[in-house]
Amino acid sequence: MNIRKLNKLVLFGLMFATPFVQAQITHVDMRVEGMT
Amino acid sequence: MKQHLGRQSGVQKVEVSLIDGKVDVTPKEDGQIDPAQLLKATYDSGVSVAEMDVTARGKVVKDSSGNFALQVSPNRSYQFAGNDLSQGLESLAGSPTVVTLRGQLYKKPGGKKKPDNSQPLKLTLLEVQKKE
Repeated sequence: MNIRKLNKLVLFGLMFATPFVQAQITHVDMRVEGMT
Repeated sequence: MKQHLGRQSGVQKVEVSLIDGKVDVTPKEDGQIDPAQLLKATYDSGVSVAEMDVTARGKVVKDSSGNFALQVSPNRSYQFAGNDLSQGLESLAGSPTVVTLRGQLYKKPGGKKKPDNSQPLKLTLLEVQKKE
């Protein structure tokens, strides 16, 4: 019984530890001219 | 310019390199960053943008006109400027696959043409980094 509970805890832990794949712009870089 | 860009919605950090004219923008994770707004803000600060590249994660979608695009948020997508790389992603349209890619959203027109900011930005794919 305790092992089952432990397994559930590990499973939930893994779910939250896995980074959520979210659609978004992660980086922008520009090359600019005329900057002083 | 750094302060001007830093005030834009969705911008977390701005780093400017005066030596090579590079500006690195780190977006917040809220997905609110708008590259078109960044272009405008840069011009407003008196600097001309030669190129703008982005790294983005999103799903490939096909719009009602049959054009393929990368959807980076529920209300924002960028149509692909067709090349070999984008053609390779067309089969993913409508699938749950999330792709991470690097692409060019803006390049200054050659000659002395004035940049046309009225047209929506198109994404020219440079590299497909991940499919998941």
